[in-house]
Amino acid sequence: MDGQRKRYDHARPGELLNPLLPGPELGVGDTALLVISAVLVALFAATVVFSGYAVLLRKRHEARDRLWAGFQERWEAPVLNALVAPDTIPDVHGLVDPEYELHFVQFVLEYTRRVRGPERQTLSKLAAPFLPAIAERADHRSPEVRTRAVQTLGMLGLPEYADQVLAGLDDESPLVSFVAARHLARPDLPQHGVALLDHLARYKDADSRFLASMLVAVGAPMIPELRARLSDPSVAPWERAILADALIIHMDPGAADIAAEALATADDRELIARLLRLIAIIGRPEHRDVVLGLVDSNDPLLRGQAFRALGSIGDDRDLAILIAGVDDESPWVALHAARGVRDAGGRAVLVDLVATDPALASLAGQILAEESER
Amino acid sequence: MIETIWSFIGAFNYLVLAYFIALHSIYLATSLFAFRALRRYALRLKSLDISELITSASSPPITLLAPAYNEEATVVESVRSLLTLEYPEYEILVINDGSKDDTVARLTRAFNLEPAQRLATADLPSAAIRGVYRSRRHPNLWLIDKENGGKADALNAGLKYSQTRLFCAMDADSLVEPEALIRIARPFMEDSTTVAAGGVLRIANGCTVKEGRVVDVRMPKNFLAQLQVLEYLRAFLGGRMGWDALDSTLVISGAFGIFRRDVVVAAGGYATDTVGEDMELVVRLHRHCSENDIPYRIHFVPDPVAWTECPEDLRVLGRQRERWQRGLYQTLTRHRVMMFRRRYGRAGMLAFPYFFFLEMLGPVIEGVGYVSFAATVLAGRAEWPFVIAFFSAAVVLGGALSLSAVALEELSFRRYARLSDLLRLFWLAVVENFGYRQLNAWWRLQGTWSAIRGKEGWGKMTRKGFNTGPTDG
Repeated sequence: MDGQRKRYDHARPGELLNPLLPGPELGVGDTALLVISAVLVALFAATVVFSGYAVLLRKRHEARDRLWAGFQERWEAPVLNALVAPDTIPDVHGLVDPEYELHFVQFVLEYTRRVRGPERQTLSKLAAPFLPAIAERADHRSPEVRTRAVQTLGMLGLPEYADQVLAGLDDESPLVSFVAARHLARPDLPQHGVALLDHLARYKDADSRFLASMLVAVGAPMIPELRARLSDPSVAPWERAILADALIIHMDPGAADIAAEALATADDRELIARLLRLIAIIGRPEHRDVVLGLVDSNDPLLRGQAFRALGSIGDDRDLAILIAGVDDESPWVALHAARGVRDAGGRAVLVDLVATDPALASLAGQILAEESER
Repeated sequence: MIETIWSFIGAFNYLVLAYFIALHSIYLATSLFAFRALRRYALRLKSLDISELITSASSPPITLLAPAYNEEATVVESVRSLLTLEYPEYEILVINDGSKDDTVARLTRAFNLEPAQRLATADLPSAAIRGVYRSRRHPNLWLIDKENGGKADALNAGLKYSQTRLFCAMDADSLVEPEALIRIARPFMEDSTTVAAGGVLRIANGCTVKEGRVVDVRMPKNFLAQLQVLEYLRAFLGGRMGWDALDSTLVISGAFGIFRRDVVVAAGGYATDTVGEDMELVVRLHRHCSENDIPYRIHFVPDPVAWTECPEDLRVLGRQRERWQRGLYQTLTRHRVMMFRRRYGRAGMLAFPYFFFLEMLGPVIEGVGYVSFAATVLAGRAEWPFVIAFFSAAVVLGGALSLSAVALEELSFRRYARLSDLLRLFWLAVVENFGYRQLNAWWRLQGTWSAIRGKEGWGKMTRKGFNTGPTDG
């Protein structure tokens, strides 16, 4: 330690931190300290840059806020006026400087989210002269820029730019593809529904109800294609499960027959559960037999859905089976069975359970309370 | 002999220096990852309209679990905030954990609660349930009144009564922003393997709250609370965002996180024998899913915000930090099998060792390091280059990294819009290193010691209530 101190005492300022300067030979401790110092300087420099960036960002944000405040002042009134008087659209175009064309499209895009129907068409016309520049950005190397371009074209440029948005479905970036799909899922462009179904595998990671809801957005013209694929055993089970969900949201009565038929051959757990759910919601008494075969399933998920379906499409004959289900070891199955009892006309049974069976009183009480809310 | 001791102290000083460098290098690395991730997230946000998701029929129903213990000061305001959330379908279960104050009475009066029946759907241990109540005015608001058993026990009770696929664990004293639920539920819609997601916690002290919503964001007037604003920015935007980018989220704040109910129940619910039940659950989910070959993701989402009231006096803050450290110690020692095991993926190879060596053992090294360094300097045995290096590592770098957290805030959400607030944050980033940081190390050292001794319990936390602005009349 003393030896080291002596050496430092003779060192010139800066010498210890700079191994390139000539000086006394360095020991292991000195080298370690130099390395540490170098690391510290590098870390410090990086964080100073980071911090400086914060200040620059604040400045940039403030400048951007000022710019947009200016746009607001310049464009808001004419754009709102164009919504009620579309013949003024050319006048609005005259207010857009060439360097701010993309900003104008972004400005219009914000309004697009708030309106529907003819007003949305007016906004599309307002943006139309500037959309070719956006279409070029759909081929940009940055996936974020491509996403934004596809989104803009999807909201303001359909059907004119349908090819670019459709191309987005095959983009290497999952986000671009997903955004393209969401924008093609609209009732006024049902012709693209099949393309969505063809690309469903790209979104396999997404929640199935989310995808079903997206398919439903295409509207009723999709129903025949949804039915056809649901009944096709060569279609992947996870995809058929989504189609079943979509048909439930459509409340398509024709789907119940397909579901009952598919139940006879389906062996995927999730698919069977969705088919049972479909029958529970839109099934008819003639589907009872296929459901009865599943109330004894070893899988609580399937057993529960079967009880739910039986309660919905069954009758007095099934009350005993449903009442037995109320005592099921799985609370979820019991819950579905109790709802089934209620739906099959067994309200009195539930009232009795509340009064006489402390173990099932809370279940029966909950179902009765749900009934009063319906 | 004395020389040997000094040699040992000298070597220890180098260890402390190495610790500081390792710690700050990782902070910097996570900040850089966070920087990239936040930019991408912001662009992604622009591309997927949040309002489209809100109206979508696909949003999964959620049960909010809000445990309350002696929360009379804030509970009504908090529940009001929960009732105004913009989400298609959700239920609120407030779980009164045997409060000794007026919590139940205030809730009953404010929301017209009456006895109701509800089925328990999971077999999880919890203290005895005294009663279940439902609001006549808001049918989606329930109160589970139970004997005291601690926060984890209350969450288990809520979990038993939740009937939706997802549940959101939160503190009854936090204010959740209206869009927070849809934002935090998004990963579940976009990725079906998501089992948990956490949001950002921000400090409500100093902000104005109206009808359960934070309407004016301001820096707190209290100095301690100001320092915590900076800490929270650093922890959430720099730390958790960075770890999320590395797919290694190990902590989801107990004040606001959303989980797949079936997976949590299968993993055994909340552990009632730790004070860090939030982190313990997330670490256990990593283990449960890895050991059972369940494909899973745990996300951190940077924009769903819950606001919370932070302690404004040293005693309460010290108790909180001591408890956090105890929870960390309990969790990491319990699941030490994950350390450097490939089976647990990046969580086991990256995040766990970081938390174990730098967060859990860090305060011991740091606390003892300050003492040994001071002793070395006072004894005149310190070399100036070393003193400078130590000072840079312990103080200057810490400050600079806090500044980078402010940069992340500026890059992303800019909640503190006033320039004076930004400058205040810069100033705090410097001054927190003189005293506050060392105090924190001391509290955490105490926490580690308490955990080793097997201390239990939360310690008393007092709440002042939110600033609801000037009252009319």
